[in-house]
Amino acid sequence: MRIRVDGDIVEDPLADQGDSLLAVLRRGGRTAPKAACGQGECGACTVLLGDRAVMSCVVLAAGVDAEVTTAAGLGADDLREAFADHVAFQCGFCTPGQIVRAEAVLREGVHRTREEIVRAMAGNVCRCTGYVQIVDAIVATMEKRRAEEPECDRR
Amino acid sequence: MRPKVVGTRVRPLDWDAKTAGTARYAADARPEGTLVGRILRSPYPHARIVRLDVDRASRVPGVRAVVTHRDLAPGVVYEHSGEPYSDRPPLAVDRVAYVGQEVAAVAADTAEAAERALRLIDVRYRRLRPVLSTAAALAARATRVRRREGGDNVALAVSGVWGSAELARSRSTVTVGGSFDYPRVTHACMEPNTTLAWWHDDRLELWTSTQASHFVVHELARVLGLRLDQVVCRDVAVGGGFGSKSKVSEHEAIAGLLSMRSGRPVLVELTRAEEISATKPRHAFRTTMRAHADDTGRIRWFEAEVDVDNGAFNHYGPSVMRAGIKQIGSLYRPDAVSWSGRLIDTNLTPGGQFRGYGAPQTALAIECLVDELAERTGIDPIEFRIRNANEPGSVAPAGARIGSARLVECLESVRELIGWDEHRRDRHPSRGLGVAVGVHASGSYAYPGGNVSAAGIDVTSAGEVVVRFGGSDAGTGQRTILGQIAAEVLDVPIGRVQVIMNDWDEAPPDMGAWSSRGTHMGGHAVKRAAEAMAERLRALGAEKLGTEDVRLCGGRVEAAGAAVDIGELVALAPESADGRLRIDTDYLEERMEPYWTGIPNPNISPSYTFAAHAVQVEVDEDTGEIRILDYVAAHDIGRAIHPGMVEGQIIGGVVQGLGAVLGENLIYEGGRVVNASYLHYPLPRSTTAPSIRAVLIEGPEEAGPYDAKSVGEMSIVPPAPAVLNAVYDAVGIRFHSLPLTPDVVLRALAEKRGAPRRRHHLFRRPGRWQIELFRRLYPLGMHAILHRFGTSFARRRPPRPVRRVVTPASVPELTAALAGEPPGEVAVVGAGTDLTTQRAQGLANPHTLVSVTAVTALRRLHARAGGVEIGAAVTLTELARWARDRIPMLADAVETIASAQIRDVATVGGNLAQAKRCWFFRNGFDCYKRGGATCPCYAVTGDHRFHHAAVDAHRCQAVTPSDLATVFAALDATVRVGDRHVPIGGLYRGPGELRIGPGEFIESVSLPEPGPERRGVFEKLRLWDGDFAVVSLALDVGLDAEGRWHRPRIVYGALAPVPWRPAATERALDGRRPTETELTTLIEREFERRAHPLSGTAWKLDAAAGLLRRAARRLNGDTPEGGDDDA
Ligand code: FES
Ligand code: FES
Repeated sequence: MRIRVDGDIVEDPLADQGDSLLAVLRRGGRTAPKAACGQGECGACTVLLGDRAVMSCVVLAAGVDAEVTTAAGLGADDLREAFADHVAFQCGFCTPGQIVRAEAVLREGVHRTREEIVRAMAGNVCRCTGYVQIVDAIVATMEKRRAEEPECDRR
Repeated sequence: MRPKVVGTRVRPLDWDAKTAGTARYAADARPEGTLVGRILRSPYPHARIVRLDVDRASRVPGVRAVVTHRDLAPGVVYEHSGEPYSDRPPLAVDRVAYVGQEVAAVAADTAEAAERALRLIDVRYRRLRPVLSTAAALAARATRVRRREGGDNVALAVSGVWGSAELARSRSTVTVGGSFDYPRVTHACMEPNTTLAWWHDDRLELWTSTQASHFVVHELARVLGLRLDQVVCRDVAVGGGFGSKSKVSEHEAIAGLLSMRSGRPVLVELTRAEEISATKPRHAFRTTMRAHADDTGRIRWFEAEVDVDNGAFNHYGPSVMRAGIKQIGSLYRPDAVSWSGRLIDTNLTPGGQFRGYGAPQTALAIECLVDELAERTGIDPIEFRIRNANEPGSVAPAGARIGSARLVECLESVRELIGWDEHRRDRHPSRGLGVAVGVHASGSYAYPGGNVSAAGIDVTSAGEVVVRFGGSDAGTGQRTILGQIAAEVLDVPIGRVQVIMNDWDEAPPDMGAWSSRGTHMGGHAVKRAAEAMAERLRALGAEKLGTEDVRLCGGRVEAAGAAVDIGELVALAPESADGRLRIDTDYLEERMEPYWTGIPNPNISPSYTFAAHAVQVEVDEDTGEIRILDYVAAHDIGRAIHPGMVEGQIIGGVVQGLGAVLGENLIYEGGRVVNASYLHYPLPRSTTAPSIRAVLIEGPEEAGPYDAKSVGEMSIVPPAPAVLNAVYDAVGIRFHSLPLTPDVVLRALAEKRGAPRRRHHLFRRPGRWQIELFRRLYPLGMHAILHRFGTSFARRRPPRPVRRVVTPASVPELTAALAGEPPGEVAVVGAGTDLTTQRAQGLANPHTLVSVTAVTALRRLHARAGGVEIGAAVTLTELARWARDRIPMLADAVETIASAQIRDVATVGGNLAQAKRCWFFRNGFDCYKRGGATCPCYAVTGDHRFHHAAVDAHRCQAVTPSDLATVFAALDATVRVGDRHVPIGGLYRGPGELRIGPGEFIESVSLPEPGPERRGVFEKLRLWDGDFAVVSLALDVGLDAEGRWHRPRIVYGALAPVPWRPAATERALDGRRPTETELTTLIEREFERRAHPLSGTAWKLDAAAGLLRRAARRLNGDTPEGGDDDA
């Protein structure tokens, strides 16, 4: 099988057609999506499939029909910098997943309350930070992007 | 001079790589030819190994090494706490002492080959009677967990008195007491323990997730028979430690051994299930304590007995127990502390080091009892603690020589920020405030060498500064802090500083990050090295610039009118080599006294940090849930090197501490962990405690580098007692154990109310006799027989690859794809989220998958005359979006399912068809449903409080997990399966089991047009945000203008094997406008008549009644005049 990942092609023989997208990505040397639970319960493996954030450990690789974007190919430098400035990571293992998920949330819209951000991030476990600084970083990025929106788009 | 870099919020040095996902963790860069390592673990808690033959396994193609204890020197054990406590062999020798103990290991070209080989290792065990609790260990005639001198199951007993008990007794007038239980909890580091080991050129090179390469190097050299310089750890990112990786774990030596045998690099990565069940959790403590005070509110005396569940091997149990006891003698200013402790052997996973190291366990007792003392003496809990706070310059009973101490300021700060006085004045029902405090060391002289550190600094000719430090940063931010200190001393921009850690080829050794020593020891070590480098640079600069009057500034040495970049000075130093000027220095901390040399009450740490936490909670008296409304944590940290990181350590520790209060707890059945998955182990989520404020109380501390004291462990100590005290303030119940899951809270509330026990009149219900008989026979031997003998006939599904994925585009093609395929061989999948999981859990191994995602007919969601038809391949997100304005209850229900990422792909059909979530079934127990009729249902005698039925269960006690099924039933849905239209109530024949035949599949779900007067409410009780229901309720009624209910449909999820309707209650409510009392009476009557709970599921009926009241309140909220309550 061939999939597009962060602008490149990843090929895999898919000896087991039941393999997850995460397995294929990691075999292909992509380190951003992490295997932490492997059962869709923690979000560490979150990648964009097209424009949807999905947990790649429970997505069948064989069914992937859109471009995959990992944290490494995401861009979103403002969000990554906000994570740095707010110390929104410690060990960093959950971080690529948090950032991909957060970016998907922000791309859906930048007019959300802090509470909505808190809820939107509930699928991504972080054992280190206690979440507050993660939410701070996302909210700060959202506010910045909102301010940069063209006048006519603002509500 | 004010520091420039220290005390500022610089970006973490590793931010770019960590946020892009390019930082290298142990599993991330595999040399060519890396093998997969897998470990064979004991299935029994206690057994003799009578045969261990790896012959067949070694012959599996692709297998490169199989190792057992025979590959190690005879009698070799880890050093751990040192003699006489060293007791653990790296691989089991002739006995296994807990489920999960390592027996053998395999390295192979592929995971499949490795797993095949594991299955072919021939081990015969003779089972021995296991000791599965501390109580059982202490019972007369208990089996011995280990052969040891004393002959009992106590590995270590200690006792003593600090201060004068006589004096203390004479001054005490008020006494409170109790026993407090802190359970086993797991670290749940997000990165599972991982080691990549590579034996080459006579050296073992390791990329391993550790907090302390010191222990890895020393222990591996010892057990593998190598010199210290033959083992080297490289600098890798580490995905969390929290103490678990502060000593050697068990996978490092196994990976090393496999590599030495195969001559190839070997990667051992634990699975999440291994991580939770086989790594060493926090030691469970029972602290029995009496606390005494005088009338003025001065604490006089603590008397404590501590029983520690050691598990099957000592590891660091002796020092964890001592540290826990030390907490009692370090906090406040009692006249005396009388203490004793027993470290008790059991056949459970050995306990290990966990952030706080015994202190959270004993602090639970101290701080709950101090709260009681405050109440008994009539003093406000914060004021009481202020009166007893440690003073600067004092000596605590256990020997701590306190330098700075700002506990009073911490208490005052939380009082103000949480609004303590206002909230306690204007009370709100079911809400309460609690406070708790703690103390922690900054490093500990617990082992020889614990008082030293070292560091190196290089300056390169490019003007870069490289800090070399032999400890490891598992996420605490030490790397950045050390860089800041070097930048500060050398006055270089932080951007020019790089920090290499952990690798002793590069850096002088350090003992690593444990006992909160990272900032103190590492900070001093780097400061000293940097100071030496600064002096050298100034000397070189002086020479170059021809004046003695020079200073370091901005990466240059400056004199009046002249400057030289530090990089240019490198070449001038004769000792420079390869364009680098290197300096290494040692640091010796003289303030610390050793633990083990007989000094009475040693001062083991150079400084002590304090904290006060205050919390506001709300207790939901309908469901037993505890909500954290607000949390303030003030820490006396000396000064922050990096305030943002200190705040992160505080908030992170608080949330971990809250996890242990709100739900975390390892649950065992027959010595085996039942909840070894994130699904069943409720970790805090972003929604658990969204409002936490960290307050830094700063001031001088003479001992610290730049006044810094520790923070990382301190923060996990107060949360549990703070919450328990707040819960008492809210509902008047003093809980003495963790976690406070809804069942515990609801039961206590019912007991407090004096609620009568339900009588289920089983003698009048012949339909339940058979099940009741089974349930009674289970504990009388039936369970034991089925478990011991029946499970040997268990059906197992060996993993195998999926050969084919078929993606039909239409319903006829789909039908054709399924035709003639035997069940079990083929699986219909939507997104495949549950199938992927079931394959990993050994529950399914189809060779063909038929995906419905491309069948356009199944992806439609279309309104038709009289209703709507929802295709089976519609995603949950699509369904919620559609339902939001049309059927809000349906949208509400969908949004409680899993996470947004899952809802975006998971389908309606997949949700309805998913298998049960019973933790025995899912987590590998050979249960009745997994293994077949000869196997027991483990839930009958095991822990069944959350995921099992209280109504109608048969031999399997599980429930249907689908929330959609519940809400669809309330909406009177019909499911289309081929040509059949099945009312949703008839779709299930058992828990998560569909009444559909081979070749059939769910096509769509039809909902009738709801009448304009219909209103619905969905309620769900769950253990974590995204969890399956513990109990859920969908209520759909016709509501008239007077607020009367017409043709109500009440559907409970997770209460019975299939969605369950209390028909009599529904009938009785038709046409009524029920009060809460009436609702409760009706539903209780029906529960009495129809429920048949297990001992641990009875509380779910209370929760179910609570959900009904809550749902009714929400419905009434919709109408202008809600029902009056006569209660
Ligand atoms: S690894 Fe995929 S959700 Fe946890
Ligand atoms: S930063 Fe460690 S798990 Fe999130």
